[in-house]
Amino acid sequence: MLKETRVMKKALTICLLLCCVLAQILANGASEAPAKKAEEPVTLSVLWFNDGNESEIFTSTMQDYLAAHPNVKIDLQIIAFADYQQKLKMMISGGNPPDVARMATADLTALIDTVLPLEGYADVASLEKQFVPSMLAYAYNKENKLAALPTEATANGMLVNKTAFKNAGVDVDAVSKTWTWDQWAEIMKKVVAANASKGMKYGLAVDFTPHRFSTIMYQYGGHFLNDQQTAMQFDNPGTIACLEWFKKMHDENLIPKSVWLGSENPAELFQAGVVACHIGGSWNVNTYKKNIANFEWGAVQMPKAATRSSVPGGKLIASFKGCAHPQEAVNFMVAFADKDHSSNYDKQTMNISARVDTNIQYASNAADFNVFADELKVTPAFTANEWKNPNLSKVTGYAKEQIVQYLMGNIDVKTCVTNVDKKGAGFFK
Amino acid sequence: MLVVILFATVALIPILWVALSSFKPQSELFSIPMRVFPQRWTLENYAAALLRGSFPIYFRNTVIVSVVSTVITVIINIMAGYALGKYVFPGRNTLFSLMLATLMIPLQVIMIPIFLQLKRFGLLNSLWGIIIPPAATPTGVFLARQYMTTIPDSLIEAARIDGGGEWFVFRKIIIPLSKPIIATIAIFSFMWRWNDYLWPLIVISKNDKQTIQQALAGFVGQLQINWSNLLAMTTITILPIIIVFLAFQNFFMQGISAGAVKG
Amino acid sequence: MTEFKRGTRQFWIPYLFLLPNVLIFTLFVIVPAVQGLAMSFTDWSVFSDASFVGLDNFKELFHDEVFWITFRNTLVYSVLTVCALILVSLMLALLLYQNTIFAQKAFRAIFYIPSLLSMITVGIAWRFILGDEMGIINFIIRSCGGEGVHWLTSGKLAMLSVILVSVWTYAGYYMIIFISGLQTIPIELYEAAYVDGASKWYSFRSITLPLLSPTTLVVSILATINAFKAYELILTMTKGGPGYATKFIVQQVYEVAFMEDRMGYASAMSIVLMLMIGIITLIQFKGSRGEGEHE
Repeated sequence: MLKETRVMKKALTICLLLCCVLAQILANGASEAPAKKAEEPVTLSVLWFNDGNESEIFTSTMQDYLAAHPNVKIDLQIIAFADYQQKLKMMISGGNPPDVARMATADLTALIDTVLPLEGYADVASLEKQFVPSMLAYAYNKENKLAALPTEATANGMLVNKTAFKNAGVDVDAVSKTWTWDQWAEIMKKVVAANASKGMKYGLAVDFTPHRFSTIMYQYGGHFLNDQQTAMQFDNPGTIACLEWFKKMHDENLIPKSVWLGSENPAELFQAGVVACHIGGSWNVNTYKKNIANFEWGAVQMPKAATRSSVPGGKLIASFKGCAHPQEAVNFMVAFADKDHSSNYDKQTMNISARVDTNIQYASNAADFNVFADELKVTPAFTANEWKNPNLSKVTGYAKEQIVQYLMGNIDVKTCVTNVDKKGAGFFK
Repeated sequence: MLVVILFATVALIPILWVALSSFKPQSELFSIPMRVFPQRWTLENYAAALLRGSFPIYFRNTVIVSVVSTVITVIINIMAGYALGKYVFPGRNTLFSLMLATLMIPLQVIMIPIFLQLKRFGLLNSLWGIIIPPAATPTGVFLARQYMTTIPDSLIEAARIDGGGEWFVFRKIIIPLSKPIIATIAIFSFMWRWNDYLWPLIVISKNDKQTIQQALAGFVGQLQINWSNLLAMTTITILPIIIVFLAFQNFFMQGISAGAVKG
Repeated sequence: MTEFKRGTRQFWIPYLFLLPNVLIFTLFVIVPAVQGLAMSFTDWSVFSDASFVGLDNFKELFHDEVFWITFRNTLVYSVLTVCALILVSLMLALLLYQNTIFAQKAFRAIFYIPSLLSMITVGIAWRFILGDEMGIINFIIRSCGGEGVHWLTSGKLAMLSVILVSVWTYAGYYMIIFISGLQTIPIELYEAAYVDGASKWYSFRSITLPLLSPTTLVVSILATINAFKAYELILTMTKGGPGYATKFIVQQVYEVAFMEDRMGYASAMSIVLMLMIGIITLIQFKGSRGEGEHE
């Protein structure tokens, strides 16, 4: 029996040790509750996602603010974009939202109910006048209260391999001022043929996202929702015309199948000189500037069908209901979005400004940014209203899948659009 | 032998691509014709990855988490595996099935409940939050249990007859015989914690507690991927695991039970 | 196997061995899992309160065409991948568990490394090899005058590519498990068989395979479970495409939970997934030849 006693004792010791560890952790956890006095040092938790090096530019831009407010520190956490919404939802539903977060328009739209309205923390009336309407539209919640501040704007647009056009004897800058999609197709056939020996195979690569697709859809006069944004209306003549055109381009090999049917990256294809045009956006300028050395490239005006259009997008900065330091967070946000900081940041990250009063002198590629700004100017206002609709954001993934089914020839165009409308009806009730 | 070399080549090529590409300047990554070797060798990607942000802190965190969690994992998994594999007691099969069943749940669905549970225990934003919960891994227990069933009962009986208590049997007989599975679980556990992404995503919301994998994932942006940093950091990140793997190779000794049966 | 009688102090010993593991496991896995799965009977958007809907989610699931496509894909992928994995990893283990090959440790490491890479890296590395336009293989084929193969953009080939890459990634992982299992088999058995004039194949069939069966079971079950849960690797390589060709259940679960904001429905899907895995695992347990005990 002695041995068993020893065993029991040993086992009990282990258990006790574990309990001690647990207790220790519990004690630690409890004592880490944040202090909430205003005069005490405040650490703002900032959630961020990167495309390139925005976080570094962000911190360097805000150095002067931090120096002027020595009691404020920031704890910057970078999260992968693919998990960003997930992480935020988890933190929010767990009662631990960050103080400040960089938000893409899609994420903000999905989380608009949880974002902190700025009323009472900042001068909303004055702020509202400072930003571009199409970006500001994303910042209003259901009660029409301002709940976020735009920090950068992006525009969808077309970047082209200018050298390739030259080789085909086409002056793309001149031609693009008036071209339609049909004219574009004719020109592209010439361009691809002229550059085939250099490895060029296709005319256009479009990013595999519903956002980019909608650029062309809007140009064909199509839309997602009805006029009041109260119901899905993907089934409309403009959208159908666009879808048919899109499929035709794939079938005629003007658009590589591997992007929408595989997952090849259009930007990579463009940089490798495989495709002559790329419908991406203003954010590509920075990367192309760094990476492309063996041909001339630039932004040109996109073709039109029924009308010209781009799609507004960008990033905003927001705080959350229930965060630890709302006032400090809002102060910080307002500072980041103000004229000085914002233009400094946008200039270095090579983004378009979301403010009405800034005229950014980019270090390079000013002409390209002019093209994008121009595209935004002719973009109809309802496009922003569509993309900021939270119900639409739940359907766009499915819409993309249906478009692919149509491109693959598995369903016809009417089925495609009615399927999307059916799915959307479930969310718009 | 030839077969091995053939397979090894297939296994190696993608890895080599990653490693070699990490030495290319970003502009070279997408050029056609494709090149295997960099035209211009550069260390700028490594410099950027290491100097930028808090790489040393992430590295330190990941090391701490991996080592401590592995120690805990090995101990509790071997113990649990031994119980499940060598004892008969009520609830044994139910428990085992329950453990396996939870392996089948996609973590995405239970992310939020786990988050709330960890919050209740004060484990959020603490390295302990990514050390302790994943240590009770069903996979490790499963591996240990299966291994334990191959240990001859006769050895255990003999030790008991010699006057050893249960703990004595465990310490003096089971553990020495379990070296291969201890090594296996240790290697795996280190790798799981080192590569762990979902647990830190759930638990950590503070920069100074982040792990390397979180930092790596951060290089994949919304609209583009920061290739140069990603490739360089990936190459750095797999080195420690390889070292641990090679170090534990010595435990994979051949014929270890043979010696035991004879003796 | 030891069994202690109830009422004795010894009865508690196995429980004590289990305690640390089970304690942690219950607190941090079982409890949240039960909570998560209970959500399948509710309609829960992350920000509003859950409302009980009984079996509605399951009823809807029955008619959900996309879900059943992913179900079928997952099944096909899992069966093929697991079979391939067992074969390949066992073969590698057999080649590398004894000191018969030069630089054996190095080779083991080489095969093991793929499973160490993060899925993002694996997906991207293989995209560069298999990509239509930017892929190395097609580049070589075209240089020789051929036409590129649509590894990732044709439905059937995409599934095949994904299976192959999965095998490449995990063969080394399961090889290690097999190696540790192979080393429990006493050499004398082989020596005795050799003396008796048995062929290698005979030894393999009647010594190795039976004694390896606990290990084979582990590999088979773990591989099955992991195959059914495949997500990140596929996502980086094909994003579930082309179309729905390589979309698996977990991807659908994720999208429904976080993009469509329907945690309850996603939870119901997970239950179906669990049931599927559970049934197959049970079959595997029954099918195995019991526990490989010596003597």
